[in-house]
Amino acid sequence: MTVTDHRAPAEGRSETAAELAARHGLTRSGARPSLSRYLADVWSRRHFAISLAGARAYASNQVSYLGQLWAVLTPMLWAGVYLFVFGHVLDTSRGVDNFAAFLVIGVFLFRFTSTSLSAGASSVIRNQSLVSTLRFPRALLPVSVVLAELLTLLPALVVLLGVVLLTGEPPAWSWLLLPVAVLLQSVFGTGLALGTARMVSQVRDVANIVPFVTRALMYVSGVFFSIEHYAGPGGLGAALAHQPVAVYLELARGCLLQGIHLTASTWLWATGWALGALLVGVVWFWNGEEGYGRD
Amino acid sequence: MTEQGTERTGPSVVVDDLHVSYRTYGGRRTTEPGSGRRFTLRRHVAAVDRVHAVTGVSFVAHHGESIGVIGHNGSGKSTLLRAVAGLVPPSSGGVYAAGTPSLLGVGGVLVKELSGERNIVLGSLALGLSPTEVRERFDAIVDFAGIGDFVQLPMSAYSSGMSARLRFAISTATSPDVLLVDEALATGDAEFKQRSRERIREIVGNAGTVLLVSHSMSTIQQTCDRVLWMDRGVLRMDGPTDEVVAAYSESVAQPDQERR
Repeated sequence: MTVTDHRAPAEGRSETAAELAARHGLTRSGARPSLSRYLADVWSRRHFAISLAGARAYASNQVSYLGQLWAVLTPMLWAGVYLFVFGHVLDTSRGVDNFAAFLVIGVFLFRFTSTSLSAGASSVIRNQSLVSTLRFPRALLPVSVVLAELLTLLPALVVLLGVVLLTGEPPAWSWLLLPVAVLLQSVFGTGLALGTARMVSQVRDVANIVPFVTRALMYVSGVFFSIEHYAGPGGLGAALAHQPVAVYLELARGCLLQGIHLTASTWLWATGWALGALLVGVVWFWNGEEGYGRD
Repeated sequence: MTEQGTERTGPSVVVDDLHVSYRTYGGRRTTEPGSGRRFTLRRHVAAVDRVHAVTGVSFVAHHGESIGVIGHNGSGKSTLLRAVAGLVPPSSGGVYAAGTPSLLGVGGVLVKELSGERNIVLGSLALGLSPTEVRERFDAIVDFAGIGDFVQLPMSAYSSGMSARLRFAISTATSPDVLLVDEALATGDAEFKQRSRERIREIVGNAGTVLLVSHSMSTIQQTCDRVLWMDRGVLRMDGPTDEVVAAYSESVAQPDQERR
């Protein structure tokens, strides 16, 4: 296909559009850059993702009279509900020394990953107004969702430390490792969010499956029971204990609770899952970059 | 910005046999041959349809040109602009542009639950400004938008004119090589229309290119020196403003022949 450029000097032949564009330094609109270029773009616009995350986390609480108090009230209420149901009504505390702290850590950190997954899955299709208005690397949307969940988690971690102290755990040096554990879990969540965001943007039906996946994860990750005690040390128990969400819960509990001892292998699994998920998520999401505005 | 390639003369947008189709969810046309009444199930299951909005459009735009795009509703004008902006991927053909084209649409809001203040920061950061540059330009953007203390309220509280103004102010904060304006001036008041026309002239004067979609022939005639006429996804006419507007007005005056 050729185009005629009436103002260009006559050159005896008509050149193709691509040649004409290249000669004048034009680039294909919306073209997917190379992976390294893409990551550099994401990094250079990181302030956008941080700002969007902060604004979203803030706005979610702002539409009420108590406003930002809900940032602390919400996790406290969740802790109360789960302690009542699993500590009293259905007693699943067997095999655990400090069940209240065990449960609250499990619930809060599980919610972090499950909301990263579900909000990340819809992060591209929920932001169609941004996607159809501004040109920026779309990976910033799932990334900012995970950042927003991380910001929501911070006040919850304060509540959590309160519960841990109140239930008689003495402060220990290992508490300082909790930020590292949460960081690894965030990296894993980012990989999940990137991966599912592309799937949902291409096939919306996937969004209807996500709640079942998070619910299933909740029951197999030892959120409110000890996997070792209920599933045993055999094949199934080992498989359940090494799946990523269970690994991250174990990691956080090991950092905070005296009764749970961490081994190097838990840290290795946690790092491996995080880097693996991020790598797969980034490459998969970047591959679909040109298709996100198609709807 | 005079590194290799980004010269300020010559073509700034090259559109080559562009086809764009997109998916729609929630409904499906049943008038295609062969579907008919028997397949009404398809309206409830797999209600995903494909709209072929732009079919085979080619043109070249130059630095310092302001081009109007006219045509009936649904003729593919907005889709064409979004494809030039790189927001809708072409299904075939190519779109090449200088720099990153900036699009102004009628959608009105960026993130409606956030304040105008937040949206200015977000929009500018997304356009690639650094946090320092955003701080420097913040006041100028607020002044240009002229929304006063509404800047602290969520954008859901804005009138459509106010959000159009804020969007225009954000998108033009960076003096883009290619500015695409989609009916954004229609909702503003007379004073804002005047100011935004001046801003467009300024961008064109800086050797930028402006593509303006509008149904207002007076806006087109005052702002543009060349016009593209889109008709059912096809580029029907491309030429000087007066000629194309005259031909278009004539076809509107005789709707029976032109529209089925």
